[in-house]
Amino acid sequence: MATYAEMREIYDDIRGDFRYDHELNGCLNCGICTATCPSAQFYDYSPREIVQLLWTENVEQVYDAMQEKIWACAQCMTCAARCPFKNSPGGLVMIMREVAIKHGMQSAKDVLRPFGRVMLKLITTGNQLSPDMIQPDHFPDWGPNIQKVEGNLKTLRKAIPMRTLQTTDTAWEVSLKTSVEMYTIWEMTGVLNSLETMDENLFDVIEDFIDEKREEYDEWLEEQEGKGD
Amino acid sequence: MSTEQIQGIAGHGSFFQPTHLGAEEAAKATDWVRKHVDRRTMDLGERMDDIREHMWELEKEGEIIVHRITDAHKPVEVQTLFGWTKKIPTIQLWHHKSCGQCGNIPGYPTSLLWFMNQFGYEPGRDYLDETDQTSCTAWNYHGSGIGNVESLAAVFLRNFHQAYVSGKQHGHGLGHFFPLVHCGTSFGNYKEIRKYLVESAELRERVKKILGKLGRLVDGKIVIPEEVVHYSEWVHVMRNRIASELQKVDVSNIRVTMHAACHYYKMVHEDAIYDPTVLGGNRTAIGTSVAQALGAQVIDYSTWYDCCGFGFRHIISEREFTRSFTMNRKIRVVREEANADVLIGNDTGCITTMDKNQWIGKAHEQNFSVPVMADVQFAALACGADPFKIVQLQWHASPCEELVEKMGISWTDAKKNFEAYLKEVEAGRIEYLYNPELALGGH
Repeated sequence: MATYAEMREIYDDIRGDFRYDHELNGCLNCGICTATCPSAQFYDYSPREIVQLLWTENVEQVYDAMQEKIWACAQCMTCAARCPFKNSPGGLVMIMREVAIKHGMQSAKDVLRPFGRVMLKLITTGNQLSPDMIQPDHFPDWGPNIQKVEGNLKTLRKAIPMRTLQTTDTAWEVSLKTSVEMYTIWEMTGVLNSLETMDENLFDVIEDFIDEKREEYDEWLEEQEGKGD
Repeated sequence: MSTEQIQGIAGHGSFFQPTHLGAEEAAKATDWVRKHVDRRTMDLGERMDDIREHMWELEKEGEIIVHRITDAHKPVEVQTLFGWTKKIPTIQLWHHKSCGQCGNIPGYPTSLLWFMNQFGYEPGRDYLDETDQTSCTAWNYHGSGIGNVESLAAVFLRNFHQAYVSGKQHGHGLGHFFPLVHCGTSFGNYKEIRKYLVESAELRERVKKILGKLGRLVDGKIVIPEEVVHYSEWVHVMRNRIASELQKVDVSNIRVTMHAACHYYKMVHEDAIYDPTVLGGNRTAIGTSVAQALGAQVIDYSTWYDCCGFGFRHIISEREFTRSFTMNRKIRVVREEANADVLIGNDTGCITTMDKNQWIGKAHEQNFSVPVMADVQFAALACGADPFKIVQLQWHASPCEELVEKMGISWTDAKKNFEAYLKEVEAGRIEYLYNPELALGGH
């Protein structure tokens, strides 16, 4: 259990985000946000409750809500579109999720563990998912009729009449230079540090991958220079 | 426990007590809420800033460069939520792809490019599809919280800088191609980030350092687009030309329902398109408007405003939420209440969610289904596009064959032709929408 000082630090980090004042302007407890919230229908989650806890500076219950409740939000932003006060409960949840990660909260680690392969794909390729991830083995609940034509995935992808889409391990072909630029963004904005806090093993795999891609790019650059000589 | 009881208690805290109101009394008690959530609301317009005005000021002060929509982009003006004007470029477009669409629903971008070709657009001059782009990375951000405003802003500016300079390698000037965003989440995310960038000098300074390191500044400045434009807005402004110049199939017997993506019209909602001639102006016009222009029967339904249940992380690792929500609040309603022949959408996650999660409903005796596809795929079918080669319906799990047959197109024949075409593909004889070299910077 965290001490009050730790909980206070987390709360102050949430309040300190520059978006906080955009997202929270007051609350009448009208409940329109919860009435239109998809997650409120299936989870013990209410956007109105999140807003109220923050609005009333309820430091301990804010910390409690960060254990599970904030991860129920589907991020549809219906609440934000509907709030008469122009609050964005979904936006507040995003700030809270970022803070949960910054503080390496165990609950965040638990929630995100099954999401690892998506993070791996995104951080290394800039694509969120790829055709080879969407196979019946990964999604048995999507049924046997997941595709309407049988065939080799590579051939089926080649039959898409756009050059950029004829891939299987990325959604589209991303140039090597583009990927390397993206790795710089991850490094300079602290995304790789967040990843290391959340999942050290995943971070190691990603770091190796990035090193390899950078080497590949350097070699390509050298080759180009060689051609120019 | 009944569904009603579960829905009533979840999310309302332990103090929740059922009211035991009758259906009529409950409807009366919540009437004002329903009126508020089910109608277009205009009352916030006066209190809201138009961020685009601040962009022009920043440009005057020498802080940023605004990537302009010029006459060369042949823009069409439309009205957004508060009656503000938005310019939609119709030509010289840089296709900013969607990872979910390209990975999972490739008929989305292929139908869109097919339309551009049908209008006589020349690839490399009138549009460009290239490899120098990443996704917006916002799916991961909304799902996991890994990422931050700075990383999202840097990705946004990097991609849009590439759009700004992409014409050069094809012999055009700076700003020739204007970005056309395919994904709903990218569209919402980029607009949100644009707002933060315009409002926060500190954020601009921080990302400028990153963009500088990447060589992605122009005259030492960041480039921000005049408008963030979604592909469904292009389809919206082209709808009458699509119907009058290209339509081949009568769709007046087809009952169409629309699911508009939350991130299209609920994020930065002041920028979504509304039109008084489409669903009374109470719903965003995109998607519905093209079905209407094609002469289909557009059916409104009671859960129109609901999310699809995608949830970003949920569709991957809490799928019971995603499939329960989509089956109960979307598929069941469009099937049983609207008796729809098709449910069309304008975004990646929604189509995936609603298309893929129908089969599992059988486990709970939810034995209903409806074909699900994008607005642009439906329009392409109506204009005679091949259901497999162009509309790429082979990747869909929902019963799209039922819609195709009802439109008078033989699914069996089209499938046979496609299977024969796969042999050609294996032999290296591939039909492209554009010269594949263009994707890599060639001519």
